[in-house]
Amino acid sequence: MDMNSRSKYAWAYIMIAPTLIGTLVFWGSPAIYSLYLGFMKSENFGLINHWVGLDNYHKLFRDEEFWRNLRNTLYYVVLVVPLTLVFSTFFAVLMNTRIKGASVYRVIFFLPQVTMPAAVALVWIVLFAQDFGLLNYFLGTHIAWISDPRFAMYALVLVGVWGGIGFNMLLILAGLQNIPRTLYEAGELEGAVGFRKFRHITLPLLTPTLFFTTVILMIGATQIFDSIYLIIGKTNVALPSVRSLVYAYYQNAFVYYDQNYGAVMVNILLLINLILTGFQFMLQKKWVFYE
Amino acid sequence: MLNRKKSWFVIVSIILSAALMLAGCGKSKSESSNSPSAENSPASSGQASEKASDSPKKDVTITYTIWDQLQQPAMEAIGKEFTAQYPNIKVKVEVIPWNDYWTKMSAAAPAGTLPDVFWMHSGQFTKFVSGNFLEPITDRVSTGKIDLNNYEANLGSIYTLNGQNYALPKDFDTIGLAYNKELFDNAGIPYPDDTWDYAKLAEVAKKLSQPDKGIYGFAAKMDTQTGYWNDMLANGGHIVTDDMSKSGYDEQASIEALKARYQLILDKASPTHQQMTDTDATEMFKSGKVAMIFEGDWRTNDIDGSDNITGKWNWAPLPKGKVKRGNIINGLGNAMSAAGKHKEEAGLFLEFLGSKRAAEITAEMGAAIPAFKDTQGAWVKSKPHLNLQVFIDQASEAVPYPAGMKSYPVWFPKEGEIMSQAWGGAISIEEGAKKVANMMNQAIADNK
Repeated sequence: MDMNSRSKYAWAYIMIAPTLIGTLVFWGSPAIYSLYLGFMKSENFGLINHWVGLDNYHKLFRDEEFWRNLRNTLYYVVLVVPLTLVFSTFFAVLMNTRIKGASVYRVIFFLPQVTMPAAVALVWIVLFAQDFGLLNYFLGTHIAWISDPRFAMYALVLVGVWGGIGFNMLLILAGLQNIPRTLYEAGELEGAVGFRKFRHITLPLLTPTLFFTTVILMIGATQIFDSIYLIIGKTNVALPSVRSLVYAYYQNAFVYYDQNYGAVMVNILLLINLILTGFQFMLQKKWVFYE
Repeated sequence: MLNRKKSWFVIVSIILSAALMLAGCGKSKSESSNSPSAENSPASSGQASEKASDSPKKDVTITYTIWDQLQQPAMEAIGKEFTAQYPNIKVKVEVIPWNDYWTKMSAAAPAGTLPDVFWMHSGQFTKFVSGNFLEPITDRVSTGKIDLNNYEANLGSIYTLNGQNYALPKDFDTIGLAYNKELFDNAGIPYPDDTWDYAKLAEVAKKLSQPDKGIYGFAAKMDTQTGYWNDMLANGGHIVTDDMSKSGYDEQASIEALKARYQLILDKASPTHQQMTDTDATEMFKSGKVAMIFEGDWRTNDIDGSDNITGKWNWAPLPKGKVKRGNIINGLGNAMSAAGKHKEEAGLFLEFLGSKRAAEITAEMGAAIPAFKDTQGAWVKSKPHLNLQVFIDQASEAVPYPAGMKSYPVWFPKEGEIMSQAWGGAISIEEGAKKVANMMNQAIADNK
């Protein structure tokens, strides 16, 4: 290694240092501390910790509520990820055509991403309200969207998909713009039109982006918390039907002061995410097309 | 293109170096301000304990942390008056909003950075006491510097655990029946008064309800302190047994009271739980959709400040039950940190906060109902168009908020989750009450 490339490396490390240190301090160390807390019984604001081995995990696996929360979380993921993916791709393809005012639409679609979650939740609460809500007004129904156990999950999915389209659309749009125009021109010469262009040119070349988007979306969706906290709330009869692992973690760790029981929940969630992501990397060989 | 890249690099490096410089400044500043006090504090505390009265004392600033911004002016006024008596002790009043208050205090406690003196809530104090983060004030009580008999209705006992006293009563709150005069007038029904019992409440609630117009006689909300706890007590039930060893939710009298409240929803004399989840019941009252509601005195300014209802409402006492008039009395306390740097001075301020003079300032400025006996009159007069006297009158027969137990922070949030299942119709009221009782008994056993 000569001096030049060594100093190049040094610069590279200096440049990524802020992110790297931030990740270690704010993500790495809490994750490791959660693993540690999972084997402990903490007392007195966490000043005293006793080793209890796998007790917390035993308790967790016998806890019906945990399995229900896990099922809720996975159900949410199964609904939100494909829907967000389909809608984001759809809108990204529309945005990619030369329509008038495309940038205005981009801003509109991206707005949910930059709006405060609490403000978004307030607006949705008004829309969902049973008596005076706009949703019931337009549908001509009288459904308690956020406090009827049969509907609350779909309300959250709607909010999740709506909130996710903007960001994922941008990712996919970037992917679309990387597809060389010459391929479409060649396709047109061969007689490809409309949906066939999308199916045989756009989609295959978009798969690397879609893969990345799916991984990110899935990890994000397993961590659903804020919309449950803000829209459903803790005295809602529908809470058990929508409570996610992260919400249960928050309740246990910060409301009931049982950090240890909360820690084992997020440790399991970490494991689930590792497995899900690992699976996706294995499966990508089957459908992701790299040039 | 290249030029633009270069200029970006320059801008970024300027920002970075500026940030570094600023960070450097911040550090050196805080070091320079910290070092003298760190050097002098052992000396000053030694001085204070050796020579109590004579010789000029060192200037000290103590921090008094509260969560209600509306009370800040009154608390600052108390601080000023205290400084007039002890010119060397300044009081800095700091407000941390309720939503962040306990999170911050829970982080400050193990770090040893609790404020010198701060507001304590009955639901939280056992947690802080069991960690030895609060300075016991038992000595001040036994030596007569503080007389707990000065305070209303056993308020002094709220902040007692295992025979030790940890906080001085600051104020208290009770529950009242708020009613919409206009809705009563329209129906030609006389206003609620102290002769009312629960049967009368249910009867009038049904008469006043017009579900097709979205107007209900009573908000039978799923709530504890401003809800069914009062009903349970009035009917002869308990929240917890008197020795706090067992839940009272599964007592027949408690279940009966819970069922009676829920019945009002079934009779369409109250909005449903779903409706009250969508819109807070007190907001419904403020917008004239609910004729009667149980609320705490602390909502007085909030309700009265709403243009829709101001001038059209008043307070009445809670109705009588089969056994008595139920009511929950709760009180804030002033507590001091066990790890404070200026405990001597903080102790003096704490005593002043518990004095009659501090109570008078609290009342005159309309901040809260002071806990000190015979100082509540000024608070009652702060809103002459409302019958605030009902809160004072009900205090003597009220039951203390049941938080003086280690298991309280565990069972209280879970109680709401279970009862919301019952109120929402997912399980029966009886099943909910029994589930709560089992859960509470478990929590009590786990947190002995």
